[in-house]
Amino acid sequence: MSWKKDEDTDELGALMNLDHSAVLQEARVFNQTPIRPRQSRLLLAKILFLLYRGDAMSTTEATDLFFSITKLFQCEDMSLRQMVYLTIRELSTISDDVIMVTSSLMKDMQPKSEITYRANAIRALCKIVDPSMLPGIERFLKAAIVEKSATIASAALVSGLHLFGDAKEVVRRWGNEVAEALNGKALSQGPSFFGGGGAAAGAVTSTSNIVQYHAMGLLYAIRQHDRMAVLKLVQTFSGQSRGGGGGGGGGWLGGGGSGAALRSNMAHVLLIRYAVRVMEGDAGLAGQLQALLGEWVRHRSDMVSLEAARALCQLRGVDGKELAAAVNALRVFLGSPRATVRFAAIRTLNALARTQPEAVQPCNVDMEGLITDGNRSVATFAITTLLKTGNEASVDRLMKQMQGFMAEISDEFKAIVAEAVRSLCRKFPAKHGVFLAFLAGVLRDEGGFDFKRSAIEAIIDLARHVPECKEAALAHLCEFIEDCEFTKLSVRVLHFLGDEGPRTPRPTMYIRHIYNRVVLETAVVRAAAVSALAKFGAAPDAAAADDAALRESVRVLLRRCLDDRDDEVRDRAAWALRMTAAAPTRTKYVRDDSTFALAVLERKLAEYCASPAAAAEGAFSFAAVPRVSRAQEEELRDRERMETMDAVLTGSATTIGGTAAGTGTGPKPAADSLSPSATPAPLDAFALQAQHAARLNAIPELAAFGAQPLVSSAAAAELTEPETEYVVRCIKHVYAGHVVFQFDVTNTIPEQIMEQVEVAMEPANDDAAAAAAAGLAPVVVVPIPELRAGEPGSAYVAFERADPAEFPAATFACTLRFVVKECDAATGEPIDGDEGFEDEYSLEAVDLGAGDYMLATYLPESHALWETLGAASEAVEVFALAAFDSIEACVASVAALLGMWPLEGALRPKSKAAHQAVFTGRWMGAAKVVARTRMTYQKGAGVTMELAVRSEEAAVSALVVGSVG
Amino acid sequence: MASLIKALLDWLRSLFWKEEMELTLVGLQNSGKTTLVNVIASGQFTEDMIPTVGFNMRKVTKGNVTMKLWDIGGQPRFRSMWERYCRGVNAIVFVIDAADHAKLDQARAELWSLLEKPQLANIPVLVLGNKNDLPDALTVDQLIEAMNLQAITSREVACYSISAKNQVNIDITLRWLIKHSSSSPAASLPLAL
Repeated sequence: MSWKKDEDTDELGALMNLDHSAVLQEARVFNQTPIRPRQSRLLLAKILFLLYRGDAMSTTEATDLFFSITKLFQCEDMSLRQMVYLTIRELSTISDDVIMVTSSLMKDMQPKSEITYRANAIRALCKIVDPSMLPGIERFLKAAIVEKSATIASAALVSGLHLFGDAKEVVRRWGNEVAEALNGKALSQGPSFFGGGGAAAGAVTSTSNIVQYHAMGLLYAIRQHDRMAVLKLVQTFSGQSRGGGGGGGGGWLGGGGSGAALRSNMAHVLLIRYAVRVMEGDAGLAGQLQALLGEWVRHRSDMVSLEAARALCQLRGVDGKELAAAVNALRVFLGSPRATVRFAAIRTLNALARTQPEAVQPCNVDMEGLITDGNRSVATFAITTLLKTGNEASVDRLMKQMQGFMAEISDEFKAIVAEAVRSLCRKFPAKHGVFLAFLAGVLRDEGGFDFKRSAIEAIIDLARHVPECKEAALAHLCEFIEDCEFTKLSVRVLHFLGDEGPRTPRPTMYIRHIYNRVVLETAVVRAAAVSALAKFGAAPDAAAADDAALRESVRVLLRRCLDDRDDEVRDRAAWALRMTAAAPTRTKYVRDDSTFALAVLERKLAEYCASPAAAAEGAFSFAAVPRVSRAQEEELRDRERMETMDAVLTGSATTIGGTAAGTGTGPKPAADSLSPSATPAPLDAFALQAQHAARLNAIPELAAFGAQPLVSSAAAAELTEPETEYVVRCIKHVYAGHVVFQFDVTNTIPEQIMEQVEVAMEPANDDAAAAAAAGLAPVVVVPIPELRAGEPGSAYVAFERADPAEFPAATFACTLRFVVKECDAATGEPIDGDEGFEDEYSLEAVDLGAGDYMLATYLPESHALWETLGAASEAVEVFALAAFDSIEACVASVAALLGMWPLEGALRPKSKAAHQAVFTGRWMGAAKVVARTRMTYQKGAGVTMELAVRSEEAAVSALVVGSVG
Repeated sequence: MASLIKALLDWLRSLFWKEEMELTLVGLQNSGKTTLVNVIASGQFTEDMIPTVGFNMRKVTKGNVTMKLWDIGGQPRFRSMWERYCRGVNAIVFVIDAADHAKLDQARAELWSLLEKPQLANIPVLVLGNKNDLPDALTVDQLIEAMNLQAITSREVACYSISAKNQVNIDITLRWLIKHSSSSPAASLPLAL
């Protein structure tokens, strides 16, 4: 057996050990006379192998090689010529002067050449041709598109798609030919009333299906911006499924002439995607096209049916009946013997379950069957989908089922399951007992780091959010670290025990576990254990007598740690002893509840290290790094995690074969931009602020206002309708004495360049606004010197506040003013001699309100803060807001007006009749403000809201209250 | 009977003495290189050719000699690549539009810069003044003068005045070319292009 294997790998081994330079040396074979086709072909294969393997080839080498290869055109050996075409295509991007073979390739694509030559020559030609030469060969390509031979036609169509990027104008002219290719030979042959003719047409069509697919793609590329044309394309083929069936029955009577028919399933899939795009652009057609999709769900091809069902599942606002039909079709596919089909179906259902879990519920039974599917990706999706669609009652059963097969599955998969359970914990806190038992059970099994970490995080999550099970969870964690092979996890658990342990009724229990680590573990874990002990030593003084005793015991333990072999452990022990000795240091250092904004700290440190000038100026300054409370940090992380959770659940199964499972890549339908592309990693507020500051400080006029704005609006306000010529968004920055409006302008017209772009701001045309605006004096206008299409730029308008104690609210009418110059859309170069003309574009008005002076920030323990601020600084008002017809809408708009940080649950009213919400923030980035609202809703009367605000500055409270109304 | 044996002998001889030669045609654009190749290959004149983008390869068999003709485009952007295709050939054919006086200087400069290449030393050169059917075409002597051919000493040079259109002097051109198939440096091909 092994002997045979050797022989098998021999050939591959020879390829694997190919040496770049040796192969290039061998290239002299190409120059020999006469040509030796077999040898040359082998050598070309080696070269291709090198290129595909990713070996870098220098331009000189590639050019030399290329010219040697051109010599092979003298040989008429067909298989050698095919290799030559292939190699030329590969070299086309590396070598110089590849247009040298243009003439030879054109000769090969002439109608009198062999079909194999022609198709391959076309494909190679489109790689080497430059757009200036395209008109010369256009004629041949157009002829090739309508060629009878499918090989040639699809070669020409695919080449057209490749060329489309560089030479849109030329390729657009081929529309008629492409349409002819799409409609197929059956049409061009004319209706045939004879059986023989029909059979012949059938023979042609069976081989040319791929042409239809390629033609569909190219035609769409050509007409994609013409919505009516795309709609027509979709409608042309819309009668297909009925027509096809009818044609089958009445085939003798000229089925070929009965209208356009889609023979290629792949083309049909494309058509469905285009139909969806039409629908997205024009809601009016949605109903009609949805019915069409519903019909296509019943198509006899799996591919088409799946695609149609997927389209229906992804569309918003689909009719319930259509959706049910789609889900039903998918349910049937779940039982398919082919893993691909099962995968496609479950993946679609999984995506649907994110938005409409109840729609997927009919499939639950089928999905439960898939949990034990041989294909792990299918099984993963089945579980994660079930976890979304499941209700509280089915959790027990599901967990039992999962427990059954946890031992048999791979580690990545286990990690995904743990992640899924983690999110389930949050959804059904009442079931914590089941989850905890499950997690504790799987922790005892063998498993890799990722999996154990996910399980640990899930338990920590439970402990943090479900107070009833905290002690049980901590006990499980303690048990886990008794026998944990992963240092990092031990440290994580010890840290968490240090945080939570002291607040439990019986901290001593945990101290024993922690101290065991000090005795038994490596230095890193010992150090972490010492830090955790220190936290027990600094526990709050609630039960004073107990605590003092506890503290003393802890200090005894810490003292023993002073003899440790490791420096770090000794240091930490010494520090802890010193700090726990007296109450003030205990509170200040050991129980410090704040931390640096870590993202900012990291960035600042990186900047510091990167710039030698900064080191010369002195030590790194922490003053510029904002501090946040741990609670806020937790809250932020939690929010982020919840946002990526869905992505983890749906995306990880596709990466399961890769190295990192659950990296959170968003679901991405391949080669399809139907769903919004994955959003870039969300910047945290500090990073965003730093980014703004960097840009503002680059402008000298604005940098004078201060190091960075005190408050910047978090979200940009859109000042234009979507899909207009210019896209303008406004961000407001508030400085101590100034207000800066930043306008992000994007020019979407490739044919023009905008110059001297600025925004004119006029106080709105009524007295009150004008009076308010009087408090604001315009200072600087910073225009954008030049704005090309697709490159956003920022213009600024700055105002000075006349009286620092006044915070004027105003409304400004905005107009975009600029000079338009025409330019070449392809190169972006301005057309010479175009002086341009001035133009204006009116934008929506910009409001400046009290909310803009408020920095939305999370303040911990808002309840205690409320009491500390005291009633003296309180401002209360009651509003009758008849305009709102739900509490949800009201609270959202109040939140927007206040510009403050909504505390958990503030924006999600639990009841329809009454709601309480708490908001926190810092006025001008400094003074703490807490706002509480109580609202009630009565049908007919609208929302009645009481808003109470307390702040560190009494005047601010009134201002904040005044901002609503 | 005798004739039969003679035919048989000829056939055998052609089997053993089948010769191959490689030629490269260069020259400014629109001087008639591709047309000339077509005339040599098919014996027919076709007007109104599109400019050669890159090169054309033709194999032509005359008697027992197979000629591989590399016809290289004459546009400026291809001129730097002439040399690559001239290396190791049996002869370089430089085609000139004898009726286009304005371009003679340019043609001479290109010819001389090509011949200066060390890689191409000793390769015989045939200079053809094409289009002698046109009224003010240069004669052979004028052409030799204009190209300064008498100054070339280190290699074999020949110059004919031809017309691809009227097929004038094509025969002597072919004869010259075939003569150079055996006395060629083909045996000592350069190692790599």
